[in-house]
Amino acid sequence: MRKSQFLMAFLSAACLSAATASAQTLTVGLDADPPKLDPALSTALVDRQVMNQIFDKLLDLDANLKVIPALATSWKVTNGGLTYTFKLKAGVKFTDGTALDAAAVKYGLDRNRTLEGSARKNEMSSIKEIKVVDPQTIQINLSQPYGPLLAVLTDRAGMIVSPTAAKKAGADFQNNPVGSGPFTFVSRVRQDNITLNANKSYWGGAPKIDKLVYRPFTDGDVRYANLLSGAVQAITPIDPKDISKLEQNPKFNVLNYPGIGFQGVWFNVTRAPFNNKNFRQAVAATIDREAIAKSIFYGTVTPAAGPFPPGTPAASSAITVQKPDIALAKKKLGGKPLSFTLLTTPGSVTTQLAQVYQAMFAQAGINAKIEQVEFGTLLDRADKQDYDALMLGWSGRPDPDGNIYDFFVTGGTNNQAGYSNKTVDSLLAKARAQTAMSARAATYNVALSTILSDTPYTWVYFQRNLVASVKGMTGLKPIPDGILRFKDVDLK
Amino acid sequence: MAVFALRRLLSSIPTLLIVTLIVFAMVKLLPGDPARLILGQEATPQALAELRRSLGLDRSLPQQYLSWLGGAVRLDFGTSLTDNSSVSRLIAQKLPVTLELALFAMLISLLISLPAGILSAMRRNTWVDRLLTLLALSGISLPNFFLGILLIYLFSIRLAWIPASGYTSLLENPGRNLLLLLLPAITLGVGSAAVLTRYLRSSLSETLTQDYVRTAHAKGLTSRAVTSKHALRNALIPFLTAFGLQLGGLLGGAVITEQIFSIPGFGRLLVDAVFTRDLPVIQGVVLVSAVAVFLVSFLVDLGYAAVDPRIRYH
Repeated sequence: MRKSQFLMAFLSAACLSAATASAQTLTVGLDADPPKLDPALSTALVDRQVMNQIFDKLLDLDANLKVIPALATSWKVTNGGLTYTFKLKAGVKFTDGTALDAAAVKYGLDRNRTLEGSARKNEMSSIKEIKVVDPQTIQINLSQPYGPLLAVLTDRAGMIVSPTAAKKAGADFQNNPVGSGPFTFVSRVRQDNITLNANKSYWGGAPKIDKLVYRPFTDGDVRYANLLSGAVQAITPIDPKDISKLEQNPKFNVLNYPGIGFQGVWFNVTRAPFNNKNFRQAVAATIDREAIAKSIFYGTVTPAAGPFPPGTPAASSAITVQKPDIALAKKKLGGKPLSFTLLTTPGSVTTQLAQVYQAMFAQAGINAKIEQVEFGTLLDRADKQDYDALMLGWSGRPDPDGNIYDFFVTGGTNNQAGYSNKTVDSLLAKARAQTAMSARAATYNVALSTILSDTPYTWVYFQRNLVASVKGMTGLKPIPDGILRFKDVDLK
Repeated sequence: MAVFALRRLLSSIPTLLIVTLIVFAMVKLLPGDPARLILGQEATPQALAELRRSLGLDRSLPQQYLSWLGGAVRLDFGTSLTDNSSVSRLIAQKLPVTLELALFAMLISLLISLPAGILSAMRRNTWVDRLLTLLALSGISLPNFFLGILLIYLFSIRLAWIPASGYTSLLENPGRNLLLLLLPAITLGVGSAAVLTRYLRSSLSETLTQDYVRTAHAKGLTSRAVTSKHALRNALIPFLTAFGLQLGGLLGGAVITEQIFSIPGFGRLLVDAVFTRDLPVIQGVVLVSAVAVFLVSFLVDLGYAAVDPRIRYH
């Protein structure tokens, strides 16, 4: 009896101390431990969740994916789209106390595009040089017109690091990131937490919460359990199977809004069987995109017609979601047998999806074998074009170029199919060089109609952003890039 | 005893060298390219070539092995590919966490298995034995992850007594440290307790049928005295072996439990390293685990001599 009383007292004391310690703290559960908190080196989507709070970007996005001012208050495009001039906000300081002026912005942008091992080189490759015009003005000169530049600067390429801190930390900067954002980096314990404090002297006003803690939970059930138990106040993403339970639970809010990425299947056009266009079209025709969205994802994804999700600038109502057509698939096969291997990564959703594809292909007599390899191997084999068909998607970019160019231009870094079409190449290059979004969108869609007919890739669904939070958390804006911005978020 | 210990340690050097070779080869045999995984979908061929060079992946395999082994001997396992931190530092941070969890779990396991095993053997084929056997079999069959989630559901979500996840170090806040490790330690300890109970029951049952036990009974000793003074010491030998194996297994096998309770330990370090293809981390963790298992078995060997006076090493 005494023992159990002691245990109860011990447990309740420990719970109490935990509750008081977290009064001003917002803890957010993520699906992975962000690997690299350096805008130049980062390649994971989850890094951006944390970096967006630490670093200010030159530009930002609003809920309609429109480019809006951030560190740059205004900008001008001149010289036939070759010169971009940005006016910078005055009086901004990095959290280490140094000034954020044009020289610092030049340093940050140059670092992002030239640092050894930088993942930004590709999207910044059209930049010839960056000039400081005066302490509040910076000029970016391009070697060729590049319409997506502004959108690129709303993400990691446009994040400005403190030159003093970056020079001092060297290769260790990713473990001690310093920017000018609404939160400052405090500490990280790998696989446990990343802790940020509010930047009380932030130029855009101090954040409403004092402390922001990110915790990684790779398992969806564990993430969900931690939200229910109160260990975290928000999680992203939510497993599709948990969404209706959370929506019905009066203690939580669920945000379910469109994303900018896509998922689908690549066909290797450089070898049999998919060097035969009819076979590619046959496989694409068996897929029931509506059924997949409903049965596997409980309606938390949108069936896809192409690379541009609804609500993004190049989305076109003229291109519609392909309906399953087994008769058409059989006609395209022309009585010939088709067997191939579908390459994918392990994971409950990918496995389930691969099996559903397999069953859908089988309706037209197509025989697919599933092979699962881990993600690095999948990318490696995709690069070497050592596969028949593979399941791979893209987290998406706010500018349409980022969702199409590298995937279908001859020799593009994401052109896993080995696809090459001169007409498509020239249309994609033309769209990049145009400046008006309406003209660019039209050109992308002309290119897309050829790509859809050639079918090196078939789009299946668009991801949506799924966030759950406790009812007391307010002020979170749904920006389609999926990055949660916590400056205006309050916790009651 | 000291001579035995020294000889045993020296004779392990060739074995450990073979282990290093296997660990190195195993990681190198993995398909795929670490540079590709690090740079992800946005990699350009130039960036990939740069990264391979800076990782030393362009050097020959013997060169890579020797430089890695040279470092490992000095406890320098290189730097993590993920975030550039020192692998030795990561291991030094994570190993104590898992060690504490494993010891806590073994303590729980001993607290359950010793009385249960002895009781089961002494009351062989009675209802007590059958009940304990049933419980032990359930403990063995119950998957770790299921028990873990069950405990979270009960104690964190329903009763809200214990946080569902997290870790605070023992030095920082001992009370919270023990509270947070309680559920994971039970999750790990129950399975091991079930196995150890069965071991102890069978070895003690067998010992209780020996002639010397019968002699002791004939001399008029009580059943309790016969068991504790004569039979138990001998019966503990196989139990100790099993205990050593369980402890060695726990060091590496805490993976799932650490995942469920989000404990930043050794197992999770390994799982994350495998997923991000962080080769230096994988090599360092596997090598340290191998050495740890070796150390445990070494200590068990020494433990035999302490428990059983018949065993003497020369």
